[in-house]
Amino acid sequence: MPALLEVRGLTRRFGGVFANHDVSFDVAEGSIVGLIGPNGAGKTTVFNLITGFLAPDLGEVRFEGRDITGKRPDVLSRRGIARTFQILRPFPRLTVEENVMVGPIARGESMSAARSRAHRCLELVGIAHKAGDLARGLSTGQRKRLEMARAMATEPRLLLLDEITGGVDQPSIPALIALVGKLRDEGATLLVIEHNMRVIMELAEKVVFLHLGKKVAEGPPQEIARHPKVVELYLGSQHA
Amino acid sequence: MKWLPVAFLVALAVYPLVFTQPFPQHVVIMALLFAALGTAWNILGGLAGQVSFGHALYFGVGAYTTAWFYKAFGLSALVTWPVALAISTLAAVAVGLPTFRLRGHYFVLASVFIMQAVYIVVSNWGALGAAIGLELPVHRPTGALDALWHLQFHLSKLPFYYGALALFVATLAAFEWIRRSRLGLLFVALREEEDAARSLGVDTMRHKLLALIVSAAFTTLCGMFYAQYVLYVEPVSTTSLTISVEIAFIAIFGGVGLLWGPTLGAFVIIPLTELLRAYLSGHIGLGLSGTRGSGIMATLNYLAAGGGGQVDILLYGLLIVLIARFQPRGVLGFFRKLD
Repeated sequence: MPALLEVRGLTRRFGGVFANHDVSFDVAEGSIVGLIGPNGAGKTTVFNLITGFLAPDLGEVRFEGRDITGKRPDVLSRRGIARTFQILRPFPRLTVEENVMVGPIARGESMSAARSRAHRCLELVGIAHKAGDLARGLSTGQRKRLEMARAMATEPRLLLLDEITGGVDQPSIPALIALVGKLRDEGATLLVIEHNMRVIMELAEKVVFLHLGKKVAEGPPQEIARHPKVVELYLGSQHA
Repeated sequence: MKWLPVAFLVALAVYPLVFTQPFPQHVVIMALLFAALGTAWNILGGLAGQVSFGHALYFGVGAYTTAWFYKAFGLSALVTWPVALAISTLAAVAVGLPTFRLRGHYFVLASVFIMQAVYIVVSNWGALGAAIGLELPVHRPTGALDALWHLQFHLSKLPFYYGALALFVATLAAFEWIRRSRLGLLFVALREEEDAARSLGVDTMRHKLLALIVSAAFTTLCGMFYAQYVLYVEPVSTTSLTISVEIAFIAIFGGVGLLWGPTLGAFVIIPLTELLRAYLSGHIGLGLSGTRGSGIMATLNYLAAGGGGQVDILLYGLLIVLIARFQPRGVLGFFRKLD
């Protein structure tokens, strides 16, 4: 049986620069895969290529064994691929509850069905008490949870999380890690971009390491953490 | 404040019974027409967030369809409205498919260019009377039913007044119904964050087109009313950029996206321009004599007398400066601290 997500030879140029160059990896059903790399490594470009926000110049994305390369984001959402954004994008002048209802309603659910689904998802991420507030009043941590609830309300088989802990204070990080585990228990397979190596070590079963648009290494987190290039880039070359 | 809209609608219903003179009735008919136009614009611009400076296109479709069919075949607007709505829908799709790929300012610019192109085409289209336009033949009704078929009422403005009121209330109701519906939530989602909406499964192109088609349909009905009321249709007062800007400005002035925003805008701006025009051209007795001398009053007199509505533009300029300086959210923004 093929992996849930198969990325094959993805290449995308912006002008003369390769944002991604021949990137390939698999995400197995039910797993949590980490995508790491320094700034500008092309991580978010990989997300945009998988979710249809960008079309690749070369390469192929396969989901559930079928080619989905170049399909529109809304089509892929209905197929079961959801994402969050690195720069958070709540609908600021909708309430928190309405934010989460958008996905179910776009899939044709009734108002009341969408509302009860939204409520379940808000409870899952722990901000149900904010349901009636306008989204723009939320803190950064709450906005991240809102984006997760919003994505989960589309009942994704594959969920792409861009920067789980970015911009969040240290004490809040363990709860966010626990939350990502909960999302997996709900049945979502996860592909996660994360800067914080400790978070990745704790969460991921497999890590894909990108540098300058290319895949440099792939493997279990402990192995990737010892990779000379990773050590050099994350800790400085004197540690290599 | 819940009673305010109800009181307003009741006041509108009894107004022409109190003010029986043609001019005060005319001013409110025009205010109702532009309130309906602004509210129709607000479905696309306010809910779905697509700011169009090209809505006079659909106003023109309504006005010209009415005039052309009546002139050519004697067919009443009572039977030609489906044709007008069909043309309006085709035009909306033709405009929307290419331009909705553009975002923000680029969409606004595209709407301006299309409007100008349409204006030039209509101004040179022989069958539509080119720059001179089309006159709807005046008909002397033989009775009430005959008057209703021809939609021509020469003895009283009351039929037009209540027609405008009905059009206004219907547009307002449509706006509010959509805002509360599932469709409205998706419109607002794509307005607030288009990419997030797409990632959640919202087909943004389809929903922008839907918003435009509905918005254009009500704008077309307004154009039909206008043609029937004025009995004369020409490019400057129907398919021009000026009218497009006026429609958008009325909504922006009052408060974009708010149910009563365009209505407030229309009931401030339309009476102001109508009164100013009448005042400056001396029709209500207080006008300055002739265009003697120089200075600002002479200039205003000149504009009012010769320009055919040029004073509006002066007034809009002033109001745009004031609203941009003091309340960019529109006048209703003063009353709503949070939204």
